[in-house]
Amino acid sequence: MRLTNPRAEVLGPRRHRGELVLASVLGFCILILSAQAPARSRRGSVLQSWILSAAAPLASAVSALSRTVSSGAESLQSLWQAQSENERLKRELAGKNRELFELRAQASQRSEDERLLAASAALPNLRGAAAVLLVENRAGFQSAVIGAGSAQGVVAGCPIAVAEGLVGRVVTVGHAVSRAQLLVDASAAAGARISRTGELGVVRGDGRGGLHLNNIPTTSTVAAGDLIESAGIDGIYPRGVPIGRVTSVGRGSLFLEIRVAPAVRFSQLTDVLVLAPSPAIVDGLEGARSGRP
Amino acid sequence: MKLGRIALLLAAATALQFFVGGSPHRAVWPVDFFLLATGMVARGGDFVRAVLVGGVVGIVEDALNHDLIGMNAFAKAALGYGLAFLSIRVMFGGPWAVGSALAAASLVNDLIVAVLGSLLLQAPIVLFSREALWRAVATGASGGVLEAARLFPWREWWERRRLRRLR
Repeated sequence: MRLTNPRAEVLGPRRHRGELVLASVLGFCILILSAQAPARSRRGSVLQSWILSAAAPLASAVSALSRTVSSGAESLQSLWQAQSENERLKRELAGKNRELFELRAQASQRSEDERLLAASAALPNLRGAAAVLLVENRAGFQSAVIGAGSAQGVVAGCPIAVAEGLVGRVVTVGHAVSRAQLLVDASAAAGARISRTGELGVVRGDGRGGLHLNNIPTTSTVAAGDLIESAGIDGIYPRGVPIGRVTSVGRGSLFLEIRVAPAVRFSQLTDVLVLAPSPAIVDGLEGARSGRP
Repeated sequence: MKLGRIALLLAAATALQFFVGGSPHRAVWPVDFFLLATGMVARGGDFVRAVLVGGVVGIVEDALNHDLIGMNAFAKAALGYGLAFLSIRVMFGGPWAVGSALAAASLVNDLIVAVLGSLLLQAPIVLFSREALWRAVATGASGGVLEAARLFPWREWWERRRLRRLR
């Protein structure tokens, strides 16, 4: 490594021009950041919405290609395993067919019972499924770009989930893509309930892929392994969607310090379900459209 | 670097960001392609282009991933200047030096975004998480490999190979 570079003398004036451009760009960044910060709502800016809309075709095409390549590689690997498994499964199938006749009658009765039970629960309304196009994790900010936008009826505030549990909520909506804040984002929070004890608290992301459950008093009997689900008290997320399981409980001065492992594997998200926004958000949107406060 | 090449580089960086981001195996090798693009332009030693490219890719990254537009633009413009300065003032070469500089730049990018996020969004500062360190390693290693590929004498190698075949 040498500390004197002949190019340095030649490029002296260009460097000064570089300093000027750097100062201008940084100044511009500070200006637009200052312009956004005070009036920032959780719905994102119009500029963001435009850029998201403009990026939609590229994002969808490249993501589809990425998925095809991934699935192609996986298919090839699976093909080798599939041949040997096929023989084994054929043998097993013959045995299972015999059991099937016995179980069919029981299953019919059971599914009818489950249907009735499910209908009585507070199920969130589903808007549709969307592909995850991009997941970003930088400095505690964890977000995802999903392949559904205003054209699919998505609005800012729509919760997103997968079968395993809650994923986050949409914050910026483009025409065909949207940006969502993940639950593990350092500034994300959701009203939560300990399923076993019924106690209410607030789940917050730690920005590192984990969650903390706050505001649970020291008198609580919460223990490792307890299921945490959304409480439906925050005006954003529906009630009863799993969030995660308690991994450790520590004693604080007023409240317990509870760590929660998310139910969802955020690094491996490929598709999400977009749920209908809560009535509070719908009212807010309608109010904004009609000019009501 | 010529403007046409810069435009191609920006398009490739955006496409690769989506290509990796859309894959279920995105956590395996999480390269910051926007930083790589900034580094490649800065490697040419042009301060103005490095700063402008850093600003543009930062804005795209912010629009895709952040609540506020400008945080990554700020960080990447500054890093573009810093990397161009390194490239000009300190004559360093070789894949290891370039890879290390890019890995460090990835961590500095996180630091700047975390500080801005804390100031403007009152978000907690999260630094040097496992993912951030892994991204720095992946970005640095990828940058090092690209630099090695750039320095490799492809023409001579191809000539030698051709001559060997002729014999």
